[in-house]
Amino acid sequence: MSPADQPAHDPLADEWLVVRCQLGERPAFDELIARWQQPLWRYARQLSGSDAAADDTTQDVWLRALRGIARLRDGTKLRPWLFGIAHHVLMDRLREQFRLPLVSEGDMDLEALPASGDDPLELESELAALRDGLARLPTLECEVLTLFYLQELSLDEVAQVLAVPVGTVKSRLHRARRLLRHQLGIQGGRG
Amino acid sequence: MNTTAVSALLDQELSTRSRTGHVLLLLAASAMSAVVGSLWATEPALPPRTAVAFAVLTCVGVCWAAYAAWVLRSRRVLLGLQRVVAARMAALFSAVALFGALAVGLLAGKPAAWLAALVFGAMLALATTLLVRAQRHYARLCRRRAELEQRFSSPSPK
Repeated sequence: MSPADQPAHDPLADEWLVVRCQLGERPAFDELIARWQQPLWRYARQLSGSDAAADDTTQDVWLRALRGIARLRDGTKLRPWLFGIAHHVLMDRLREQFRLPLVSEGDMDLEALPASGDDPLELESELAALRDGLARLPTLECEVLTLFYLQELSLDEVAQVLAVPVGTVKSRLHRARRLLRHQLGIQGGRG
Repeated sequence: MNTTAVSALLDQELSTRSRTGHVLLLLAASAMSAVVGSLWATEPALPPRTAVAFAVLTCVGVCWAAYAAWVLRSRRVLLGLQRVVAARMAALFSAVALFGALAVGLLAGKPAAWLAALVFGAMLALATTLLVRAQRHYARLCRRRAELEQRFSSPSPK
Protein backbone atom coordinates (compact mmCIF):
# COMPACT_ATOMS: atom_id res chain seq x y z
CA MET A 1 0.00 0.00 0.00
CA SER A 2 1.27 3.44 -0.87
CA PRO A 3 0.48 6.60 1.07
CA ALA A 4 -1.42 7.80 -2.00
CA ASP A 5 -3.98 5.04 -1.35
CA GLN A 6 -4.87 6.59 2.00
CA PRO A 7 -7.55 9.28 2.13
CA ALA A 8 -5.94 12.53 3.28
CA HIS A 9 -6.62 12.75 7.00
CA ASP A 10 -8.87 15.76 7.39
CA PRO A 11 -10.98 15.54 10.56
CA LEU A 12 -13.23 18.43 9.47
CA ALA A 13 -13.97 16.76 6.13
CA ASP A 14 -14.83 13.62 8.10
CA GLU A 15 -17.10 15.63 10.40
CA TRP A 16 -18.81 17.20 7.39
CA LEU A 17 -19.51 13.73 6.02
CA VAL A 18 -20.78 12.48 9.39
CA VAL A 19 -23.12 15.46 9.87
CA ARG A 20 -24.57 14.95 6.40
CA CYS A 21 -25.03 11.23 7.08
CA GLN A 22 -26.76 12.06 10.37
CA LEU A 23 -29.06 14.37 8.44
CA GLY A 24 -29.92 11.40 6.22
CA GLU A 25 -28.30 12.56 2.94
CA ARG A 26 -27.85 9.47 0.78
CA PRO A 27 -24.91 10.87 -1.28
CA ALA A 28 -23.00 11.42 1.96
CA PHE A 29 -23.19 7.69 2.71
CA ASP A 30 -21.83 6.92 -0.76
CA GLU A 31 -18.96 9.36 -0.17
CA LEU A 32 -18.29 7.89 3.26
CA ILE A 33 -17.99 4.40 1.82
CA ALA A 34 -15.92 5.55 -1.15
CA ARG A 35 -13.52 7.29 1.26
CA TRP A 36 -13.06 4.54 3.84
CA GLN A 37 -13.86 1.22 2.13
CA GLN A 38 -10.33 0.55 0.90
CA PRO A 39 -8.45 1.45 4.12
CA LEU A 40 -10.85 -0.69 6.15
CA TRP A 41 -10.59 -3.57 3.67
CA ARG A 42 -6.77 -3.47 3.73
CA TYR A 43 -6.76 -3.41 7.52
CA ALA A 44 -9.14 -6.40 7.59
CA ARG A 45 -7.11 -8.16 4.90
CA GLN A 46 -3.88 -7.70 6.83
CA LEU A 47 -5.34 -9.16 10.01
CA SER A 48 -7.60 -11.85 8.58
CA GLY A 49 -5.22 -13.14 5.93
CA SER A 50 -7.73 -13.67 3.12
CA ASP A 51 -9.73 -11.59 0.65
CA ALA A 52 -12.99 -13.41 1.45
CA ALA A 53 -12.62 -12.84 5.19
CA ALA A 54 -11.76 -9.18 4.54
CA ASP A 55 -14.93 -8.85 2.40
CA ASP A 56 -17.10 -10.35 5.14
CA THR A 57 -15.45 -8.23 7.80
CA THR A 58 -15.90 -4.99 5.85
CA GLN A 59 -19.55 -5.80 5.25
CA ASP A 60 -20.07 -6.28 8.99
CA VAL A 61 -18.19 -3.05 9.67
CA TRP A 62 -20.41 -1.07 7.31
CA LEU A 63 -23.56 -2.62 8.73
CA ARG A 64 -22.56 -1.60 12.25
CA ALA A 65 -21.33 1.80 11.11
CA LEU A 66 -24.54 2.64 9.20
CA ARG A 67 -26.62 1.59 12.18
CA GLY A 68 -24.48 3.46 14.68
CA ILE A 69 -23.53 6.66 12.86
CA ALA A 70 -26.53 8.54 14.26
CA ARG A 71 -24.99 8.11 17.71
CA LEU A 72 -21.47 9.28 16.78
CA ARG A 73 -21.21 12.54 18.72
CA ASP A 74 -17.89 13.86 17.44
CA GLY A 75 -17.56 13.54 13.67
CA THR A 76 -13.86 14.44 13.78
CA LYS A 77 -13.33 11.04 15.46
CA LEU A 78 -14.71 9.17 12.45
CA ARG A 79 -11.42 7.44 11.60
CA PRO A 80 -10.75 5.88 15.03
CA TRP A 81 -14.47 5.12 15.34
CA LEU A 82 -14.53 3.15 12.07
CA PHE A 83 -11.31 1.30 12.82
CA GLY A 84 -12.62 0.62 16.34
CA ILE A 85 -15.66 -1.09 14.84
CA ALA A 86 -13.38 -3.04 12.49
CA HIS A 87 -11.23 -4.05 15.46
CA HIS A 88 -14.27 -5.41 17.32
CA VAL A 89 -15.58 -7.25 14.26
CA LEU A 90 -12.16 -8.82 13.61
CA MET A 91 -11.67 -9.85 17.22
CA ASP A 92 -15.16 -11.41 17.30
CA ARG A 93 -14.43 -13.32 14.11
CA LEU A 94 -11.02 -14.49 15.30
CA ARG A 95 -12.43 -15.68 18.60
CA GLU A 96 -15.17 -17.57 16.78
CA GLN A 97 -12.89 -19.10 14.18
CA PHE A 98 -9.90 -20.12 16.19
CA ARG A 99 -11.00 -20.14 19.81
CA LEU A 100 -7.51 -19.07 20.74
CA PRO A 101 -6.59 -16.54 23.42
CA LEU A 102 -5.41 -13.35 21.72
CA VAL A 103 -2.28 -12.88 23.82
CA SER A 104 1.04 -11.64 22.60
CA GLU A 105 4.29 -13.50 22.78
CA GLY A 106 7.07 -12.32 25.00
CA ASP A 107 9.71 -9.74 24.19
CA MET A 108 12.66 -10.76 22.14
CA ASP A 109 16.10 -9.19 22.24
CA LEU A 110 16.48 -7.81 18.75
CA GLU A 111 17.86 -4.92 16.75
CA ALA A 112 16.35 -2.01 14.82
CA LEU A 113 14.08 -1.88 11.74
CA PRO A 114 15.52 -1.24 8.26
CA ALA A 115 15.77 2.21 6.76
CA SER A 116 13.68 2.67 3.61
CA GLY A 117 15.56 3.36 0.42
CA ASP A 118 14.61 5.91 -2.23
CA ASP A 119 14.33 3.36 -5.05
CA PRO A 120 10.58 2.65 -5.63
CA LEU A 121 11.27 -0.98 -6.53
CA GLU A 122 13.36 -1.47 -3.46
CA LEU A 123 10.67 0.22 -1.38
CA GLU A 124 7.97 -2.00 -2.87
CA SER A 125 10.07 -5.07 -2.18
CA GLU A 126 10.60 -3.95 1.40
CA LEU A 127 6.87 -3.32 1.79
CA ALA A 128 6.09 -6.81 0.47
CA ALA A 129 8.57 -8.28 2.93
CA LEU A 130 7.00 -6.20 5.69
CA ARG A 131 3.53 -7.48 4.83
CA ASP A 132 4.78 -11.06 4.91
CA GLY A 133 6.49 -10.42 8.22
CA LEU A 134 3.37 -8.79 9.59
CA ALA A 135 1.24 -11.74 8.58
CA ARG A 136 3.43 -14.03 10.69
CA LEU A 137 3.15 -11.87 13.81
CA PRO A 138 0.69 -12.55 16.65
CA THR A 139 -2.65 -10.78 16.13
CA LEU A 140 -2.17 -7.98 18.64
CA GLU A 141 1.25 -7.01 17.31
CA CYS A 142 0.15 -7.27 13.69
CA GLU A 143 -2.83 -5.07 14.45
CA VAL A 144 -0.96 -2.30 16.22
CA LEU A 145 1.66 -2.10 13.47
CA THR A 146 -1.02 -2.10 10.75
CA LEU A 147 -2.93 0.73 12.40
CA PHE A 148 0.13 2.85 13.20
CA TYR A 149 2.28 2.35 10.11
CA LEU A 150 0.02 1.16 7.29
CA GLN A 151 -3.14 3.09 8.20
CA GLU A 152 -1.11 5.98 9.66
CA LEU A 153 -3.28 6.51 12.72
CA SER A 154 -1.81 8.57 15.55
CA LEU A 155 -0.98 7.00 18.91
CA ASP A 156 -4.13 8.55 20.41
CA GLU A 157 -6.27 7.18 17.60
CA VAL A 158 -4.78 3.70 17.88
CA ALA A 159 -5.51 3.84 21.61
CA GLN A 160 -9.15 4.75 20.85
CA VAL A 161 -9.49 1.97 18.28
CA LEU A 162 -8.07 -0.68 20.61
CA ALA A 163 -9.70 0.81 23.73
CA VAL A 164 -6.43 0.75 25.66
CA PRO A 165 -4.28 3.53 27.17
CA VAL A 166 -1.67 5.25 24.99
CA GLY A 167 1.09 3.74 27.15
CA THR A 168 -0.15 0.26 26.27
CA VAL A 169 -0.08 1.16 22.58
CA LYS A 170 3.51 2.34 22.91
CA SER A 171 4.59 -0.84 24.65
CA ARG A 172 2.76 -2.99 22.09
CA LEU A 173 4.40 -1.04 19.28
CA HIS A 174 7.79 -1.52 20.88
CA ARG A 175 7.24 -5.25 21.25
CA ALA A 176 5.76 -5.53 17.76
CA ARG A 177 8.72 -3.76 16.15
CA ARG A 178 11.12 -6.08 17.89
CA LEU A 179 9.16 -9.15 16.80
CA LEU A 180 8.96 -7.86 13.25
CA ARG A 181 12.69 -7.24 13.14
CA HIS A 182 13.13 -10.79 14.29
CA GLN A 183 10.79 -12.02 11.55
CA LEU A 184 12.65 -10.06 8.90
CA GLY A 185 16.07 -10.93 10.29
CA ILE A 186 17.36 -7.44 9.55
CA GLN A 187 18.83 -4.44 11.27
CA GLY A 188 18.43 -0.70 10.76
CA GLY A 189 16.42 2.18 12.19
CA ARG A 190 13.02 3.80 11.76
CA GLY A 191 10.98 5.98 14.11
CA MET B 1 -16.60 -6.48 -1.25
CA ASN B 2 -17.48 -4.71 -4.52
CA THR B 3 -19.35 -1.45 -5.10
CA THR B 4 -22.58 -3.22 -6.06
CA ALA B 5 -22.65 -5.13 -2.81
CA VAL B 6 -21.98 -1.97 -0.81
CA SER B 7 -24.68 -0.11 -2.74
CA ALA B 8 -27.19 -2.92 -2.09
CA LEU B 9 -26.27 -2.82 1.58
CA LEU B 10 -26.85 0.95 1.61
CA ASP B 11 -30.24 0.62 -0.10
CA GLN B 12 -31.30 -1.99 2.40
CA GLU B 13 -30.03 -0.10 5.45
CA LEU B 14 -31.32 3.33 4.42
CA SER B 15 -34.78 2.20 3.28
CA THR B 16 -37.30 4.95 4.11
CA ARG B 17 -40.19 2.59 3.50
CA SER B 18 -38.96 0.22 6.19
CA ARG B 19 -38.55 3.08 8.67
CA THR B 20 -42.03 4.47 7.95
CA GLY B 21 -43.52 1.00 8.29
CA HIS B 22 -41.96 0.48 11.68
CA VAL B 23 -43.04 3.92 12.93
CA LEU B 24 -46.62 3.12 11.87
CA LEU B 25 -46.39 -0.32 13.46
CA LEU B 26 -45.20 1.25 16.72
CA LEU B 27 -48.06 3.75 16.77
CA ALA B 28 -50.77 1.27 15.76
CA ALA B 29 -49.61 -1.41 18.19
CA SER B 30 -49.42 1.12 21.03
CA ALA B 31 -52.93 2.42 20.29
CA MET B 32 -54.36 -1.09 20.05
CA SER B 33 -52.76 -2.07 23.35
CA ALA B 34 -54.10 1.09 25.02
CA VAL B 35 -57.69 0.57 23.81
CA VAL B 36 -57.92 -3.18 24.37
CA GLY B 37 -56.00 -2.97 27.66
CA SER B 38 -58.36 -0.25 28.93
CA LEU B 39 -61.41 -2.34 28.02
CA TRP B 40 -59.90 -5.40 29.67
CA ALA B 41 -59.07 -3.47 32.84
CA THR B 42 -62.35 -1.57 33.24
CA GLU B 43 -65.22 -3.58 31.76
CA PRO B 44 -66.95 -5.07 34.81
CA ALA B 45 -68.73 -8.12 33.42
CA LEU B 46 -66.53 -9.55 30.72
CA PRO B 47 -67.04 -13.26 30.03
CA PRO B 48 -63.89 -15.18 31.04
CA ARG B 49 -63.01 -16.08 27.47
CA THR B 50 -63.34 -12.44 26.37
CA ALA B 51 -61.16 -11.31 29.28
CA VAL B 52 -58.50 -13.83 28.25
CA ALA B 53 -58.77 -12.72 24.62
CA PHE B 54 -58.34 -9.05 25.62
CA ALA B 55 -55.34 -9.91 27.77
CA VAL B 56 -53.74 -11.82 24.91
CA LEU B 57 -54.45 -9.01 22.44
CA THR B 58 -52.94 -6.46 24.83
CA CYS B 59 -49.80 -8.59 25.19
CA VAL B 60 -49.54 -9.02 21.42
CA GLY B 61 -49.85 -5.26 20.92
CA VAL B 62 -47.20 -4.51 23.53
CA CYS B 63 -44.85 -7.08 21.96
CA TRP B 64 -45.28 -5.56 18.47
CA ALA B 65 -44.72 -2.06 19.86
CA ALA B 66 -41.56 -3.22 21.67
CA TYR B 67 -40.32 -4.94 18.51
CA ALA B 68 -40.90 -1.83 16.38
CA ALA B 69 -39.15 0.35 18.99
CA TRP B 70 -36.17 -2.04 19.02
CA VAL B 71 -35.91 -2.00 15.21
CA LEU B 72 -36.04 1.80 15.11
CA ARG B 73 -33.40 2.05 17.82
CA SER B 74 -30.89 -0.51 16.60
CA ARG B 75 -31.61 -1.56 13.01
CA ARG B 76 -33.42 1.17 11.11
CA VAL B 77 -32.12 4.13 13.08
CA LEU B 78 -33.99 7.35 12.31
CA LEU B 79 -31.81 10.10 10.88
CA GLY B 80 -32.19 13.89 11.00
CA LEU B 81 -35.50 14.91 9.48
CA GLN B 82 -36.84 11.34 9.75
CA ARG B 83 -36.78 11.71 13.55
CA VAL B 84 -38.70 14.97 13.32
CA VAL B 85 -41.31 13.49 10.97
CA ALA B 86 -41.71 10.35 13.11
CA ALA B 87 -42.14 12.44 16.28
CA ARG B 88 -44.71 14.67 14.51
CA MET B 89 -46.62 11.58 13.42
CA ALA B 90 -46.54 10.23 16.96
CA ALA B 91 -47.71 13.55 18.44
CA LEU B 92 -50.55 13.92 15.92
CA PHE B 93 -51.62 10.30 16.31
CA SER B 94 -51.57 10.50 20.12
CA ALA B 95 -53.47 13.82 20.14
CA VAL B 96 -56.22 12.46 17.87
CA ALA B 97 -56.49 9.30 19.97
CA LEU B 98 -56.56 11.36 23.18
CA PHE B 99 -59.38 13.60 21.96
CA GLY B 100 -61.26 10.54 20.72
CA ALA B 101 -60.96 8.82 24.08
CA LEU B 102 -61.97 12.00 25.92
CA ALA B 103 -65.01 12.41 23.65
CA VAL B 104 -66.11 8.83 24.24
CA GLY B 105 -65.53 9.31 27.99
CA LEU B 106 -67.62 12.50 28.08
CA LEU B 107 -70.42 11.35 25.76
CA ALA B 108 -70.76 7.69 26.71
CA GLY B 109 -69.33 7.80 30.23
CA LYS B 110 -67.30 4.65 29.67
CA PRO B 111 -64.61 4.11 32.34
CA ALA B 112 -62.43 2.37 29.71
CA ALA B 113 -62.35 5.63 27.72
CA TRP B 114 -60.87 7.52 30.70
CA LEU B 115 -58.17 4.92 31.20
CA ALA B 116 -57.38 4.96 27.46
CA ALA B 117 -57.28 8.78 27.59
CA LEU B 118 -54.74 8.53 30.40
CA VAL B 119 -52.53 6.24 28.32
CA PHE B 120 -52.90 8.42 25.21
CA GLY B 121 -52.09 11.50 27.31
CA ALA B 122 -48.85 9.85 28.43
CA MET B 123 -48.09 8.93 24.81
CA LEU B 124 -48.73 12.55 23.74
CA ALA B 125 -46.37 13.86 26.44
CA LEU B 126 -43.67 11.41 25.34
CA ALA B 127 -44.19 12.24 21.65
CA THR B 128 -43.98 15.98 22.37
CA THR B 129 -40.73 15.52 24.29
CA LEU B 130 -39.29 13.44 21.44
CA LEU B 131 -40.43 16.05 18.90
CA VAL B 132 -38.70 18.90 20.76
CA ARG B 133 -35.49 16.87 21.05
CA ALA B 134 -35.63 15.80 17.39
CA GLN B 135 -36.14 19.40 16.21
CA ARG B 136 -33.22 20.64 18.33
CA HIS B 137 -31.00 17.83 17.05
CA TYR B 138 -31.94 18.53 13.44
CA ALA B 139 -31.34 22.28 13.84
CA ARG B 140 -27.95 21.65 15.47
CA LEU B 141 -26.88 19.35 12.61
CA CYS B 142 -28.01 21.91 9.99
CA ARG B 143 -26.10 24.68 11.78
CA ARG B 144 -22.95 22.57 11.97
CA ARG B 145 -23.18 21.60 8.30
CA ALA B 146 -23.52 25.27 7.35
CA GLU B 147 -20.55 26.22 9.55
CA LEU B 148 -18.36 23.55 7.99
CA GLU B 149 -19.41 24.44 4.45
CA GLN B 150 -18.68 28.09 5.19
CA ARG B 151 -15.26 27.10 6.50
CA PHE B 152 -14.54 25.13 3.37
CA SER B 153 -15.84 28.18 1.46
CA SER B 154 -17.37 25.91 -1.18
CA PRO B 155 -20.15 23.31 -1.25
CA SER B 156 -17.59 20.51 -1.24
CA PRO B 157 -14.29 20.34 0.69
CA LYS B 158 -12.77 18.09 -1.92
